[in-house]
Amino acid sequence: MKPAAPLLPLLPALVLLPMALVLPGLLHGGGWELLGAFAAAALHPSGDPLVLGSLVGGLGTTVGMALLGWAMSLLLGVPLGLLSSRLLWRSLVGTALPAELVRRLLAVPRSIHELIWGLLLLQLVGQQPAVAVLAIAIPFGALVARVVSDLLDALPERNLQGLLAAGTPAPAALLTALGPPLLPGLISYGGYRLECALRSATLLGVFGLGGLGNELLLTLQSLQFRELWSGLWLLLAVMLSLEALVSALRRRWSMPARLALERRQPVGRSSRELVLAAAALVPLLLGVGRALAVDPAALLHWQGLPPLPAGGWQAALQLPWLALAGQTVLLTGLAAALAVGGAPLLLLLVAPWPWGRWLLRLVWALGRLWPPPLTALLLLFLFKPSLWIAALALGFHNLGILGRLLLEGVEAAGPEREDALRSGGSGARLALLYGRFSGLARSYLAYGAYRADVILRETVVVGLVAGTGLGSQLRESLSAFAFDQLALLLAAYALLTLLGEDLSDRARRALLRP
Amino acid sequence: MAAPSPAPQPPTVLELRQIHVPGRGQPRLDGVSLQLRPGERVALLGPSGAGKSTLLAVANGLLSPASGQVLWRGEPRARGARARRRQQARIGTLWQDLRLIDELTVQQNLNCGRLAQWGWPRAVLNLLLPLETNACRDSLRQLDLDPDLLEQPVSLLSGGQRQRVAIARLLRQQPTLLLADEPLASLDPRLAKELLELLLLHGQAPRALLLSLHRPDLLEGFDRVIGLRQGRLQFDCPLAALQPQQLQALYGESAVPVPHPLP
Repeated sequence: MKPAAPLLPLLPALVLLPMALVLPGLLHGGGWELLGAFAAAALHPSGDPLVLGSLVGGLGTTVGMALLGWAMSLLLGVPLGLLSSRLLWRSLVGTALPAELVRRLLAVPRSIHELIWGLLLLQLVGQQPAVAVLAIAIPFGALVARVVSDLLDALPERNLQGLLAAGTPAPAALLTALGPPLLPGLISYGGYRLECALRSATLLGVFGLGGLGNELLLTLQSLQFRELWSGLWLLLAVMLSLEALVSALRRRWSMPARLALERRQPVGRSSRELVLAAAALVPLLLGVGRALAVDPAALLHWQGLPPLPAGGWQAALQLPWLALAGQTVLLTGLAAALAVGGAPLLLLLVAPWPWGRWLLRLVWALGRLWPPPLTALLLLFLFKPSLWIAALALGFHNLGILGRLLLEGVEAAGPEREDALRSGGSGARLALLYGRFSGLARSYLAYGAYRADVILRETVVVGLVAGTGLGSQLRESLSAFAFDQLALLLAAYALLTLLGEDLSDRARRALLRP
Repeated sequence: MAAPSPAPQPPTVLELRQIHVPGRGQPRLDGVSLQLRPGERVALLGPSGAGKSTLLAVANGLLSPASGQVLWRGEPRARGARARRRQQARIGTLWQDLRLIDELTVQQNLNCGRLAQWGWPRAVLNLLLPLETNACRDSLRQLDLDPDLLEQPVSLLSGGQRQRVAIARLLRQQPTLLLADEPLASLDPRLAKELLELLLLHGQAPRALLLSLHRPDLLEGFDRVIGLRQGRLQFDCPLAALQPQQLQALYGESAVPVPHPLP
C-alpha cells in the first residue's frame, strides 16, 4: 500500500491521533475562564492612549531592530556567500577547498538560534539595542551566505570562465557573469528574510531584548488581555503590510515565488527601480539606527567571564545529555508533523466555504505573529507543562508559516484540473485534494523538510518556557552563568542542528528528484 | 432515469434558451438558443473568437449566463449541492489539455470519474489501493487500450494513450452529454482522426455529443452543424443541408478553409 501523491502532505497530520489521546490527560482542570477572557478581549482591545502610546513605541523599536538586523545580515551574508561559493574559488584559484572551509565555519553561527545569540550577547555586553540587532544579523547572515552560495553554485560556470579567459578583471567579470542571474533569487529570499526578521525581533523582545515583545509578555503575565490584544492587532497590521509589500515587490520585479517550480524571466526592465529602492534604504537605516540609539562602540565593553566551577568540566558532563537530546528531537518531530500536516488538512476542511480561506488566513497570520513562548504560556492556562504543549505552541507558529506558503502554491497552481473535476461532479474538497494537491505534494513536502530543520533550531525558544529538552537546560545554565555547561550545550545544539540539516537536505533532494 | 416522454420528440439532453454572456465591447454570446437530443452528434463551427468556448462553458455549467436559461435533461441548475453534483456528473467534458492528473496511475485517474458518486472514505482509499479494477479494465477495453496499463503512472503514457484514458475517465462518469472544446487542435492528423472517431462512436444514443471545431474539414460522421460568429448563431442545420456559401459567410472572405468537398 503506497499512498499516492495527493495524500503525502496529509500523512504527517496523523500526529493528531496521539495528540488527541494525550492532551486530555494533561488538562489541569481550571483555566477555561482565563482563556475565555483572553478570547473575548480580541474583540475589545484597549484604546487607552497611554497604553497605545507605549505599544506603538515598542512596535517602533521592534521594527527598527528587525530592519537593522536584516540589513546587516545581508551586508554580512552576500560577501560570505561569495567566499563560500565553490564556483567562485574554482574559477579564480582553481580549487574549491577554501569554499568548503568557509562553509564549515559558517555552519556554527547558522546552527545557533538568534535567541541564544541574543541571550549570550546580553550576558557579555549587557542590555543595549545593538544586542538584538547583532543577534539577528549573525545567524541570518550565515543563512543568507548559504543561500547565496547555493544559488551561485547552481549557475553554469562557462559564463564566468569565458569572461576571465577574455582578460576581464575579476571583479568586473564576477559582477557581469553572476550578478544578473543571482539577483532575482537573492531579492526574493531577502524579502522573505525581512519577514523572518520581524518575527525574530518580536521574539527577542519577549526575552527582554527590547521592543514590543516585552510588552506582550508583561500584559499576558498580568492578565491585561485587552492591552495584549491592542499590541497583537498592531503587530498584525504591520506584519501583514510588510508581507503584502514584499509580495507586491516580488511580483512587480517578477521574482520567483518561494514554492515556484519554474524560474521566471530575470530582472532587467526594473533595474533602475531596484537601484533606487536600495539607495532609499541607506538613509532609512541610518535614521533608524539613530532613533534606536545603537552604539557599536558599546559592544566592545565586555564583562569578564566568571571562573570555571570547582569540579571543572566533570560537572557539565554529568548532565543527562541523551535525554535532553532525545526530548529535543521528539519535540522537533511532533511540531514539524503538526505544522506540515495541519496546513493541508485545514485547507481541505474549509474548502467548500468561500469565507473559509479568509478565516484560515487570519488564524495563520496570528500563528505566525505570536511568538511561540506566548502561545505556550497561553496553553499553560489549561495544560500542565510538558513536551506536548511545547510542540503544540511551536507547531502552531510554523503552521502559520507553512499554511501561507501552501495557500500561495495552491492559488498559483492554476484551476484547470480542479475545474475539470468539479465539472465532472466531484465536491470541493475532493477536487482540491485530487486536482491541486497532486501537483504540489512534492515541493510542499520538500519545503516542509527545510522547515523541520528550522523547527529543530527553534526548539530552544519553547524549551525555555515549557521546561523540556536542551532549551530548558540552556536557560538554567545561562542564569547560573555556568560557562562550561553553556559551551557544551551550544556544541550539542550545533551538532544536532547540523545532523538535522544534513537529514533534511537528503529528504529534500529525494523528494525533488524527478 | 428520464421517464419516457409523451411528446412526439424525445426529451432534450441540453437546451439553451436566449443565452446572453456579456464581454468587453461586443457580447461573447448574444441570444443563442439550441437544443440537443439523445443520439445527436453536433459540430460547433466558427472562427476563433466566435464564442465557441464560451458556449461550451455555459453548456457544461462552469459559466452562468447573464440572462437566458440552460436546461439539462429538461431541468434547470439543481439547487442542493448533492443534486448539483449528480447533475454535473451527467455532463462529460473532454478538455483540450485533457487535464489528467499526471502524478496518479491510470486506474486512479479513471476512478476520478466516480468522485461525484463516492464519499470521502472511498476517494481517499482510491489513493491507497486499486479500486473497482474490473470496471476500470472494462473501460480501457472499450477504448482499445491494454488493460495492463492500469498500474502505470499517466505521465508515462504516449499522447494517443493519454487521450484514450481521458475519454475512458469521461465514460466512467456515465454522462448523457459529451462536450469537447476544440479537441483536435494541435494534434497530428492521424491522432485527430482517431480521436474524432472515438468521440463519434461514444457520442451515439442515448448520449449526445457537442464538439467545437475551428476548421470545417472534419465534418464526416456528424448529424448536425451549428455555425457561430461574433457570439451569434449563423446557422443550425443537418450536415446534409449545409451549403458552402454558409461556411464562406461564417469564416469571411479572406480565409475559406474548405479544402475538401462537402459530403
